Amino acid sequence: MTWFSQATTRDDVFATLPAFQPGFDALYASLWSQDAIPPALLELCRLRIAQLHRCDVEWQRPSIAVPEAQRENLQHWHRHPAFGAVERACLDLCEVYTADPAAITDAQADAVKAHVGEPGFVALTEAMGLFFGLTRLSLLWQLPPEAAQ
Amino acid sequence: MSSQPRAHGPSTQTGDPVRDSALALVPTVLDAYIPLSRAVWLEGPLGPALLELVRLRNAQRVNCVFCRNARYDIAKEDGLTEQQIEWMGSAQGRQQLTRRERLALAFADAYLDGPDTLSSEHQAELADAFTAQEIAHLSLALLLFNTFSRCAVTIGGMPESLPVMEVSLPPA
Repeated sequence: MTWFSQATTRDDVFATLPAFQPGFDALYASLWSQDAIPPALLELCRLRIAQLHRCDVEWQRPSIAVPEAQRENLQHWHRHPAFGAVERACLDLCEVYTADPAAITDAQADAVKAHVGEPGFVALTEAMGLFFGLTRLSLLWQLPPEAAQ
Repeated sequence: MSSQPRAHGPSTQTGDPVRDSALALVPTVLDAYIPLSRAVWLEGPLGPALLELVRLRNAQRVNCVFCRNARYDIAKEDGLTEQQIEWMGSAQGRQQLTRRERLALAFADAYLDGPDTLSSEHQAELADAFTAQEIAHLSLALLLFNTFSRCAVTIGGMPESLPVMEVSLPPA
């Protein structure tokens, strides 16, 4: 239960805004249906943002599948063989983005664009923003970890 | 922050700064964002003046030059003044704001600084001053403000400074 309502999940909280919930659902769904960057790369970044925030509810939230070796070794993406060049470029950008987007270097942005182009870079940026914010809201609302199920 | 844009908008220009920006490279997301953003400003339980204070607090902290210097016309029409915006920037100034304004800004600060910084006293005060629906609205608004200001900083190409400009919501 959150500190401001009986809600126990993100859907419960947004369900108090019936005029907005379809719009929010459409925006979130658009991240996964766009064709500028593969959704699996977005999911790795979503998980990494949850991990960096120590947010159990977002770490456990069911989403699209990523290889188990990547999920298990996400913290060690820099050196683990489960991650290729495109995953490393996106996760590198993601970590700096999470700390401070103003600290992202042109080289880090270029590394992502080399794999997914400008549209993929923009889609990743939008997705990271929503993942970052939704993680912060889950923590701010104090959603219980079982809320992800 | 990069002064050179890392992504470029479409070559065809509509005259709407959002639709002409690099965000147009991903139309699936932009087409979902614009109607939700309009609804958040126009159809929620919280008024545009309070939302604008929260948006500008986010813009200050993210240091998005575009967002920091924009003023939504609907917020001005709803009574927001430059004096209130100035008060927002300091603890002393905030004492001049209403209780709901101060609490909404405390919520935004917790989101921006780290969600574990919202004290139990602030939680109790927020739950007393706002309905659950209003807190959900505040949360969704902050999510959109923060997401797209961080996008602007990441994509880059911002000038060092801009004059304060009155802006309107993107058309539906």
